[in-house]
Amino acid sequence: MKQLVALWRKWLQRRHEVIVDRKRRPVELPWGEVVQVSHTADCMGAACPRPQLITMRMLEDMQKGDVLELVSDNPTTVETIPALAMVLSSRHLATLHTDSGWRIYLRKEE
Amino acid sequence: MNNESGVYVDLTTENKSSSWWAQSANRYAATILMLVVIGSVWALLIDSRWIYLLVYVWFGLAYGMFLQYGRFCMASAVRDLFAVGVPRMAVGIMIGISLYSLIAAAVKVGGFHTVNPHPLGWHIIIGAFIFGFGIIFTGGCASGSLYKTGEGNMGSALVILSISFSQAIFVAMSGWFDKLVPASWVASATAKAMPEELSVTQGWFDIFTAGYIWDLKGATAADMLDVSNPLVASFLADSFLVTILPASLIVVVLYVYYFRKGYMRRQKLQRSVMRMRDHLSGIWAMITSSKNTAIAGIGLGVFAGLHVWVTGLLREHYGIFNFGELLADMGHKTGLSIQDTVFDPGYWYITTQEAQWGAWVMEKAGVGMRDNIFFGLENGVPSPLINAPGFMSIGIILGAAILALLRREFKWKRPSMETAIFALVGGCLMGIGARIALGCNIGAYFATVSNGDPSGWLFLLGMVAGGYVGVKLFNLWLSWRASQFDDCPL
Repeated sequence: MKQLVALWRKWLQRRHEVIVDRKRRPVELPWGEVVQVSHTADCMGAACPRPQLITMRMLEDMQKGDVLELVSDNPTTVETIPALAMVLSSRHLATLHTDSGWRIYLRKEE
Repeated sequence: MNNESGVYVDLTTENKSSSWWAQSANRYAATILMLVVIGSVWALLIDSRWIYLLVYVWFGLAYGMFLQYGRFCMASAVRDLFAVGVPRMAVGIMIGISLYSLIAAAVKVGGFHTVNPHPLGWHIIIGAFIFGFGIIFTGGCASGSLYKTGEGNMGSALVILSISFSQAIFVAMSGWFDKLVPASWVASATAKAMPEELSVTQGWFDIFTAGYIWDLKGATAADMLDVSNPLVASFLADSFLVTILPASLIVVVLYVYYFRKGYMRRQKLQRSVMRMRDHLSGIWAMITSSKNTAIAGIGLGVFAGLHVWVTGLLREHYGIFNFGELLADMGHKTGLSIQDTVFDPGYWYITTQEAQWGAWVMEKAGVGMRDNIFFGLENGVPSPLINAPGFMSIGIILGAAILALLRREFKWKRPSMETAIFALVGGCLMGIGARIALGCNIGAYFATVSNGDPSGWLFLLGMVAGGYVGVKLFNLWLSWRASQFDDCPL
């Protein structure tokens, strides 16, 4: 049984569904504006509803004016995030479509 | 309007200045389309009656494109409301069913038979609950998993696999759990005097179908109200009362509970000074908050309605009620049920044809799949090559793939272990739920309410309840995952 639990843990640890980084860093948006990203959530490969729920949790954790960078390759998430921003007192700044997926920027407003 | 939505920028690196054909994604998309065209022409050259099957293929292709275009995921309609408070998809579905119902009403006035009302009973809510619980963990409903497979998501392909086999096994198996069904069902099923080879009193699902479902009644609103004027029956009773009125009410409720507060904040409006006009523009802002979804709702509604009409025309032309008759005429008798029928809904449907795929594979592996009502008496186990609704599902996958390629959104995605397990277990629950409720989010809800059968709203109720419980559990799972790792909070 103990072995089984250990195996299960190893299995879970082998791949994170989401990697979160709380390092502050400046990011230049395509039109030249530089924003200070405070939280980055890399949800590559994760399916709904995980990226949406993570966005919610991240925004709860953030201060007013902080910017969240969400990285996702799930089209449905990309469609939902602007609408999600509307109900979460935050502002959808940009969605950048890259070769590997999308980078979405949200600023917490209240 | 204020400037509330952000900017979309395309940073994909493929050389946009090169010719359309030189871009590989466009080439793949064109190739898929061309293969479907060639396949269609080939089928027609063999026998022009394959047109009946090709109608399913091409409508499937259209459904797939619209589903992908609007990321039209019914799972997220339920889930996003509870999990994140976003009414985007719920609104899109209301648009879809309203338009579908109007066209279906016109088709009915034109004298075509559309759908048989579903039997009304507790099974709808129970099955829908299980189905709604499952879709939270699979990340997509029955139609959503198909279009996501078209986007290259292999996790969603696992969901389809799981739905196919879980349904096939669920309706065909018998064992100790047969004893759990009420004796009255067994008595009622025995009294039906069905052919011996179906062994109706063996197998949980057979007893459920013959002893419970067949004793229930279902009716469209027009039948219930006993309206005889076809115009009033179709447009007023079926379309307006069953679909458009409830859908409009749901849109208002969604606005009041999920959208109004944020809208007032963004527009800097005080509730005390808001007039009817402000609320109406608020509702409009909610409907257009995701234009893609709204457009997909319109497209799906219109095409689903046209599908019913085209199939009706073809049935009239060939003088048939069921594709099985045509297949028998063409000499394809092996996959038919004992009544010479196959599954042939004539409208948008998802789950039953997937069950047939599973059953066909199991039959090839030597498992007897015909000694039950579902396959043996009603739907048959046709080879996937002649399974018309099955081709609709394949069409959805291909249509979604074409559009995803053109929009540079196609990407092969291998599921992680966790996603794979969720997909298999959730897909299993979806399959079982869909069979108990006699359909999925499309067959038992979208196509049902749009044709004036109020039982679809019961399905939605059950699906929403199951989705609510599923979201709560999923959030607990995320929290537990977060507690396991320091570097990764989720």
